[in-house]
Amino acid sequence: MKAPQIRTAIALMTATLLCGCGGEHFQSVLHPASPEAGEISRLWWFMLAVCGTVFVIVIALLIVAIGRRGNRKPQAPGGDAKFVLIGGMLIPGIILFVLLIYSISAKVVLTGDERNLTIQVIGHQWWWEVRYPNQDIVIANEIYIPVGEPVRLQLKSADVIHSFWVPNLHGKMDMLPEHINTFWIRADKPGVYRGQCAEFCGAQHAWMAFEVVALSTNDFQQWVSERRKLAVEQVASAERKFSHEVYMRVGCGQCHAIKGTSAVAQIGPDLTHFGSRRTIGAGLMTNNTETLTRWILAPQKMKPGNLMPHTKLTDEELQELVAYLTSLK
Amino acid sequence: MTTRPLTEFEKTWSPGVSRAARWFAVVNNQPLGKRYMLTAFVFFTIGGVLALLMRVQLTVPENNLIDPHVFNQLFTMHGSTMMFLFAVPFLEGLTLYILPMMIGSRDVAFPRLTAFSYWTYLFGGILFYSSFLFGTVPDAGWFAYTPLSGPRYSGLGVDFWLLGLSLVEIAGITAGVEIVVTILKLRAPGMTISRMPLFVWALLVTGVMILFAFTTLLVATVLLEMDRSIGTRFFDSAAGGNSLLWQHLFWFFGHPEVYIMFLPATGIVSMIVPTFAQRPIAAYTLVAVAMMLIGFLSFGLWVHHMFTTGLPPMAMSFFTAASLMIGIASGAQVFAWIGTLWGAKPIFKTALLFVFGFIFIFVFGGITGVMIAVVPFDLQVHDTYFIVAHFHYVLIGGVVFPVFAGLHYWLPKITGRMLSETLGQWSFWLMFIGFNAAFFPMHIMGFLGMPRRVYTYPKSLGLTEENVIATIGSFVLGIGFLVFAGNWLRSLRRGERASENPWHAHSLEWSTESPPPNFTFGTPPIVTSREPLWTKTEVPAPQNENVLRAQKALSNAPERWRATLATDPLKAEPHAIQYLAGPSYQPFLAALGFLTAFIGVLVKGYLVAALGMIFAAGAIAVWLSPGKRWLQYVASSPASTESGLPVHPNDRRSTAWWAMLCVYAIGITCFGALFFSYFYIRLFSASWPQNGIAVPELQLPLLSYGLLLASAGTFYWATRAFWAGKKKRTQIVLAGSFVLGASFIALEILQFSQLEFSPRTNAYGSLFYVISWTLDLFVLTGLAMIGAMQLRMLNFFENRIGFTGLQMRITAMFWYFTVIAAVAVFAVLYISPRLFA
Repeated sequence: MKAPQIRTAIALMTATLLCGCGGEHFQSVLHPASPEAGEISRLWWFMLAVCGTVFVIVIALLIVAIGRRGNRKPQAPGGDAKFVLIGGMLIPGIILFVLLIYSISAKVVLTGDERNLTIQVIGHQWWWEVRYPNQDIVIANEIYIPVGEPVRLQLKSADVIHSFWVPNLHGKMDMLPEHINTFWIRADKPGVYRGQCAEFCGAQHAWMAFEVVALSTNDFQQWVSERRKLAVEQVASAERKFSHEVYMRVGCGQCHAIKGTSAVAQIGPDLTHFGSRRTIGAGLMTNNTETLTRWILAPQKMKPGNLMPHTKLTDEELQELVAYLTSLK
Repeated sequence: MTTRPLTEFEKTWSPGVSRAARWFAVVNNQPLGKRYMLTAFVFFTIGGVLALLMRVQLTVPENNLIDPHVFNQLFTMHGSTMMFLFAVPFLEGLTLYILPMMIGSRDVAFPRLTAFSYWTYLFGGILFYSSFLFGTVPDAGWFAYTPLSGPRYSGLGVDFWLLGLSLVEIAGITAGVEIVVTILKLRAPGMTISRMPLFVWALLVTGVMILFAFTTLLVATVLLEMDRSIGTRFFDSAAGGNSLLWQHLFWFFGHPEVYIMFLPATGIVSMIVPTFAQRPIAAYTLVAVAMMLIGFLSFGLWVHHMFTTGLPPMAMSFFTAASLMIGIASGAQVFAWIGTLWGAKPIFKTALLFVFGFIFIFVFGGITGVMIAVVPFDLQVHDTYFIVAHFHYVLIGGVVFPVFAGLHYWLPKITGRMLSETLGQWSFWLMFIGFNAAFFPMHIMGFLGMPRRVYTYPKSLGLTEENVIATIGSFVLGIGFLVFAGNWLRSLRRGERASENPWHAHSLEWSTESPPPNFTFGTPPIVTSREPLWTKTEVPAPQNENVLRAQKALSNAPERWRATLATDPLKAEPHAIQYLAGPSYQPFLAALGFLTAFIGVLVKGYLVAALGMIFAAGAIAVWLSPGKRWLQYVASSPASTESGLPVHPNDRRSTAWWAMLCVYAIGITCFGALFFSYFYIRLFSASWPQNGIAVPELQLPLLSYGLLLASAGTFYWATRAFWAGKKKRTQIVLAGSFVLGASFIALEILQFSQLEFSPRTNAYGSLFYVISWTLDLFVLTGLAMIGAMQLRMLNFFENRIGFTGLQMRITAMFWYFTVIAAVAVFAVLYISPRLFA
């Protein structure tokens, strides 16, 4: 598949996820898309069955206890102590022991080896930096992975504690400032899965989302080579040189890097492949020229408290910028 | 009934002579307990309004009604208020009010400490909420994870949070001491440990838990405040600190905290169920054992809040197992209540209705609690709305419902007026239905990807219906609370007068008038069974003559000073007359000094802070010095001779001796938390000391710590001379101990001036200094106590077996503890870096 075809494929998958059968379950614990999430989901249904039964029995006992005809000298069935000992301690003890064994034996810890893909994910207030160290690709707020194989995530935070969570694929793993937590995920089938920061991290914790895009192995390879090729090609033309001057002049370059250019700052998200980005503002809105224009004009209105300042621009500069950024695939 | 002139005895127990005294000098447990509960309810109402504001914002997706900054402040204040300013203080207030009555005492063990506890709580709460006036409301969440709550990522709001909270923690710890000693020492004769009402059992366990848990939190909040104010590096990963250390310390407090709220609540239920079933509780012993088990296990659970931080799986399984054992202990209690009700045809009053609501909601919340203790499942639902649902089931179902049951049960005793049953039932059903509508849908929200603490959520998650239902439910719940408040206010004017025992209940608080007199019991009650009011007519076991003699001696007496019977902690045999202090302004002034000091830290005016502390220390010194007038009253009173019991025993018959054991628990926890931090940070450091700092030299510390160790020897010598009645020798040798202790402080200062690092250098430096300073603080306190002892001996040496002897005993207990702590500090700071280098 060529690049446009990949995009069409992704768009189709998104459409299916968003409005197709099954509804909007792209961020759901109960709609697993990996063996690990599946195991946890099974564990939940098992616990629900067991614990639900326990709950119903306890409440039934309470109702029976209240409703029973009065005895002259009331006493619990089998004698008070035996009733409490067996009903309240022994039986729950057995049930809880079974649960413990089941939970320890649940196969949720995934690992791979050196041949598997490594991705560094770094949490920032309030966006996600995504680096492919061996492929030399840096993107933000979306993670492309090949389907069917374990992917090693090296999770870390650049500031406060964040937590990485894509419920359809696996549970959470915190991102700490002091050390890297290694976490493995995999996706069974191609698709787009939404993830979100799960540890309160300040003003815009609510809009610190991202997407995991799972592609077939071929599509993924295609995606990688495409990015690498474009990173070199797309900044070369004279037209873009002019746009880049605007970019630097109005101040974008003070925070955002574009590979192969004079913009090297690492404070905000890397914009080398911005045009291919699916969302703006870490999951806030879909990325298109209209939303991008709104974002550049009033970032504090779109996402109050985020660290991007207001920029003063003429209409020409704005158009130039929007065109430039959307062209960076 | 007020026409009769007050007797001398009644005057002695009156809360205060003037209006000002009744406000600020009152030390009686009843008015203070009521104030505690009322203040807690005001905070509860505010916290509830904050919650409703959040629900309004969350009703529809992508709502812009409330700004994200404001929303973060709302949930921070809501959680902190409900945990720190409502739940624990309310239960403490209820305890202060009802506990003495339930165990047959006239007041709690340390009346002035009650007042101090109330004032620090009130001031802490006000400090906390004054952040609204300055527009810097805390916004880092109720558990304030570092580094978000550290100096780099948050503003002054977190300082308000930490300092206000510290005052409330001090209030909590003092209430813990109060509760433990009152239960152990002031029970009515015959109320042996196996006859204590289950509410008292619950409070005993809770009181001990408070000492360990709240002290840990106090240490954690002080460390974080130092990071923020004087620039230490405990939680700063850029300088060798560790942000997870905060989580360990916080949850070592935070998990027991849940049971500190929950155990008293189950205690309330265990009092109400037997009353309305009109039979004793089933399996009393198992319930008491279950409560102790919960208290013990709760300290081994903290990591289950940290399953997603990347800890080794084996360690996590251990915490799962411990968490599940709580399930067994809770199961025992639930089955005890069901067993008690079995075939008993209970009387359906509102209080019992709330108990049924509690059992339904709590069993549900307990079951989801079992689920989230299972690591893989928790990895998914941790920090989602599933957790929000779970802990509201546990805290509203497990704490608020029993509290309301308790209010419907005990308010007639407190106010002397019955509540309306009709309004009571309305408030119950509104609360029950509203609660479930508000919180059940949140389980589903969690599964469908809604994390906690978000000010909004995307429409595409498809959570609108659930959120709309939750918001409607929360308002119904709020209306239920309002109906209760209306019921209560109505009862004050129009409620039917309550008799002594309107429910035909079993425990001692129902044997006194409603509302009770200031002295609670004119004649100290004697107990012969677990349900004293139900077995009263039975022939009492042959009474010990001493018991009857003590009862007679204290019957509406002594007249001019406050006293109650002190008994043995296990067998509850009378062994002393406990002197209780009368009205005093000192607790209020001491609390005011603390408040000033904390405000000083807040505005970084350290001179103000120091003056505040000096003022507080002065007030405490006056508080502790003997009032000559009272001493004369005691000396001239016939109570001691008539009862054959001492008034000021100097050994473990005294309440102070038991309070010292509580101080030991607090001190051990304090140093334990600091040592844990030291080794935790060392564990994650590449080298130790960090950044090539040299291990501190041994010569000077060997000398200074050696002198301190020697002071324990001279102190022992002084006590020998003291008990032998040699005044001069005692004074000289004790002065020697003072000099040795003071030279330790001097040498510490000299040593600090020679060190190449400061508390700001890195986490090692912070730990080294703060551990040393903590020890220095203990030594300085000990020196003050030795000084006070010297003063006391000048005038009262003759009273060696009385209060002077008690003071000597207490000073010795404190000094020996300090010296042992010094040995431990020396081992940690100077020896341990040389081992396993």
